[in-house]
Parts: sequence; C-alpha cells; structure tokens
Amino acid sequence: MKAFVFRPDKCDVCRECEVACVAACSAAPKDSSRYAPFIKVYQSPQGPFLRLCKHCEDTPCVDACIGESLQRGPGGIIIQDEKRCVGCFMCNMVCPHGAIKTVMGLEKAFKCTLICGGGDAPACVVACDRGALQFDDFSTTVKKRRARKIQGILRK
Amino acid sequence: MKAKVKKSVRQHVIIGNCIAAVTAADTLRELNPDDRIVILGDEAVPSYSRCLITYFLGGMVTQSHLLSHSEQWYKSRGIELHLATRAETVDTKRRVVHARCNGRKKDIPYDTLLVATGSSPIFTKSFPYDPHGIIGMRTYADVQQLKAWAKKGKKAIIIGAGFVGLKTAYGLVRRGVRVKVVELLPTVLGRMTDHEASMRVRDRLTRHELLDIELNNSVVATWRHRNKYIVRYQNGGEEEADFVVASVGVQANTKFLEGTGVQIDRIICVDDYQRTTVEDIYAAGDVCRSRHIVTGQWIYNAIWPVAAAQGRVAAYNMSGQQQVYAGNIPMNSVDFYEMWITAIGDVQAEGTDIEEITFKSNSIYQKVKLRDGIPISFMAVGNVDGAGIIRGAIVGKTPWKEFVKKPQTQLLPVVNQLGGFIAKAVA
Repeated sequence: MKAFVFRPDKCDVCRECEVACVAACSAAPKDSSRYAPFIKVYQSPQGPFLRLCKHCEDTPCVDACIGESLQRGPGGIIIQDEKRCVGCFMCNMVCPHGAIKTVMGLEKAFKCTLICGGGDAPACVVACDRGALQFDDFSTTVKKRRARKIQGILRK
Repeated sequence: MKAKVKKSVRQHVIIGNCIAAVTAADTLRELNPDDRIVILGDEAVPSYSRCLITYFLGGMVTQSHLLSHSEQWYKSRGIELHLATRAETVDTKRRVVHARCNGRKKDIPYDTLLVATGSSPIFTKSFPYDPHGIIGMRTYADVQQLKAWAKKGKKAIIIGAGFVGLKTAYGLVRRGVRVKVVELLPTVLGRMTDHEASMRVRDRLTRHELLDIELNNSVVATWRHRNKYIVRYQNGGEEEADFVVASVGVQANTKFLEGTGVQIDRIICVDDYQRTTVEDIYAAGDVCRSRHIVTGQWIYNAIWPVAAAQGRVAAYNMSGQQQVYAGNIPMNSVDFYEMWITAIGDVQAEGTDIEEITFKSNSIYQKVKLRDGIPISFMAVGNVDGAGIIRGAIVGKTPWKEFVKKPQTQLLPVVNQLGGFIAKAVA
C-alpha cells in the first residue's frame, strides 16, 4: 500500500504539482473558471501545507458515504463513482485532511482517485523537482518519518 | 500442538435489511465462511440506501443506483434473503424467530440474532397515518407513493423541518409540487443549527417560489375533505393540500421484542459490544443507542456512519471476536441549491462556560463552540471546506489554541477570519 509524503521544509509553493494534476486528470473540468486540481498547496503563517487525499488505511469517508460513491478500490486506493455522488458532503465532514472539495456548478464532491495513471508515480510527484512530494510504500514512509523525528530530537 | 476443534455450523439471523444489516452480513461472511446467514427484510425490495430516497424523489438518483444491492449480491455471498418477511415475535427459549410472509408463517431458528430493524416515522392524533394521503418518508414504498402523487401543480404540506422534512421538500419542489413546511421549533434542521443558520437555510430554500417554510407553528388537526386534506394550525389558520408528509421524528421498531426480556427504553439498550440484555441477541443501527465518543454518554445518534460501524462491530462479536464500538458524535451534512450545511457536535450547547467563535460574511457563516478552551461543536453554512479537520479536534479534544497552530486549519474561515481569502489568492 502506497501513500503520499509531504515535506513542508522542502516545498517553496511553486504549484507545479497543481498544474500537473489538472493537466493529467481528464476528469477535472478544464476551463479556468472551474480550475480545480485535486492537489492544492496553501501558504500559511506556519509554512506551506498540502491538501490531498491520503488514501487512509481506515476510511471514514467510505463509511460515511450514503450513496456508495466512495469505495476502496484495487491497491487500497479510495475510488469514486461520480455518477453516484449526490453532493451531501458527509465525506467532507469526516475527512481529517480536508481533502474533499467541490467544484462550483456541479454539486458533487471531488477527490484524488489517482486516475492520472498513478501507479508508482502520480503526475504531481513527477512534477515536483524539489523533492517535497513523494509517493512511497506505506511502511517505508512511516519508518522514514520516524527516523527523521528521532534525528530531530537528537539534534536538540 | 493445538487440538483442532471442529466448529459446528451456526445460523446467524439478521432482522432488518438496511446498512447495519448488510454490513453485518458482509462482515459475518468474511469471518465465518461456513456459517449460515439469514436476512429477514420486511420490504419487497433488496437493500437500498435509505438516505438516498429523498434524492430519488427529486430525480437526482436513478432507480438502479438506489437499489444498489441486487439479489445477486446476496447470492454471491451465500446469504439467504427473505423479502417481505416481517418478524412478529422472538422465542428466546427455543431460539426461534416467528415471522410472517404474505400471510404465511415462517419459523426461523437462530444461534445468534441481530436486530437491525431501524426506525419508522411518528404519527400523532393530529396527523394520523392514512395510506391515501398522510404518509412518512422512510421506505422505498413511501417514495414510490410520493412519486405517484407528486404531479406538477399539486400541493403538499410537510410537518417538521428536520433533515428528512427539508430534503423531501427539496425533492418535491424539483418535481414541480408546491410545498409548505411547518415546524414547531424556531429553527430548521432540528437541533443542528442556531437562529442565524436557520434563517440562512430558510431564505435560500424559500427563494424558490414553490417552497414556503413556516416556523413556530404546529398542526393540531388534519382531516379529509373531497379528495383533499385540510390541515388546521395551532394559530387557527387552515390550509388545503393534496397530500401530507409527516417528518416530526422517528421511533425505533422494537414492538416484536416485547416479552423477550430485551431492555428497551424507547430504543434498545445495547452495551459497548452491541449486545442486548438477552444472551446472543445483538442490535445495531437506528434501533439502538450508541455512545457519544467525547462525553461517553449514551445517546440516540441515528446516522449512517454509526449504523455501518455498529453492524460491523456486532458481526465481530457474533463471531466470537470481541470488539468494542467507541461511538461517534452527532453530525449531519446536507446540500440545498449549492449551499452546503454541516453541523458537528452539540451545536445548541449553552451555558456560562461556553465560548463562541464565529465568522460571518454574505455567503459564509461558521461557528465553533468551545468549552474550557476545547471545541465541542462546529456548524458551517455556505462554506464547509475542511469541516473534518475540526471534527478531528472535537473528537480528539484538542485545545483550540493548539489546534489553530496547525497550518491546515488556515483553510477554515472561522480560524483565519479571512473567508476564503487563501482559496481566492490561489485561484
């Protein structure tokens, strides 16, 4: 099972990932008024942060979906059947990452379903040349994150 | 070496056929490939999403989407499905469910029993159930009946402006029916909104010429007069309609459990393992209580995610694997004409120890309530982006001061007080 890893210290908010996401997702509406990439980077006083579906292990959004639109697909990815979405936003209410968003004029919930061909390298990860965004095996990510934390503590 | 004990084949019987029952059956099959699983549903159709029926009424959902579980779904999992079968009594000594199907008696023995019968709408003397014109909105049969009545130019009165009432009104208006909603409380959407949010929701809905919402009023009598129904209000006024929909609340379907010793206090009193007070009888879904995950109190939290989780936990315990359901918090979310409304937690909590943080703009209204610096509720109208982030803080009892230091909380206007400023700057 793979997962996204975001390193805010390496990100300089160039938004290359957002551009690549829109370009790659045929499902995303193309005209600029509906510019809505599934990945979004925000600048905040506390540094940049990423808004993207993490394809969690336990899936509150799938449990909350009243229309069976969100489902666990092959490879652990949370897929979405847009036709089945009624736009009730129950999924947004339980998503701890705030990864679900709407597109004005469509009354539906949207999220990353890795339809960009995902696999080993989603478009956003390929586009990121700062190394701020990675797509790694879940267990190795956790290991790396722990190692970084320990290093941080040791340095102090 | 462990001695292999041959497990005898058990029969798990599930009464009810909605999300709690279906999730339980699915989980039971995963855990016990050899056991027999029987579902008794009192409706004529296989399982469907009960939350979607108002969307089906409004034509936003197709029939094939609504009836998502075909009989093939049950067959492929080896689940025995009895449709149009209503449980009448349960013999706990001989472990048999006495049911009736089209007038014929059916006796179904069980080893473990799951009660997932859900709830049904409340009718009172002022608006008694009448199959010709006064119905509730709960089942597939109800929505089919409403679809037949809801012709263009007809008039409907909906009693109760809760989630079901307003969603039904929304669906009927989309079919060209003139709708009047009457609500006893001064707020819409039950206890999940405050005055300001209620007014915003009401204004948005009543902007449609076919829809009218009246608050602080109730129905005292309803009678039939020349194929129409006349409703008399508390304030003395009378109104005529083609049909009436009652949505003032629900009651748990527990009548068939009378005399079994299962403790019922309007709803079934289950424990953390979804067990009732009678051995090998479990309950899940809208028929039973669940815990408030923050306060630990038993509450009646009849929402979809709770039912699904309870069904899964019940299935584990029915299979002999102990699992606890920790509970959830009251929450709901709905959309009317692209105006999203999300409410999480005890929105109407009041007292001297409560602190409020609000954000108001023309299109956005958000409010967080803090008790001792810890968020206990969140309500948003217009912009509900990132509601789940605050839900995490409510469930995790994260102090507000710590919470707002996290970068992703800047997404919420109630935190940064800039109302979608970040989103605008990006786009």
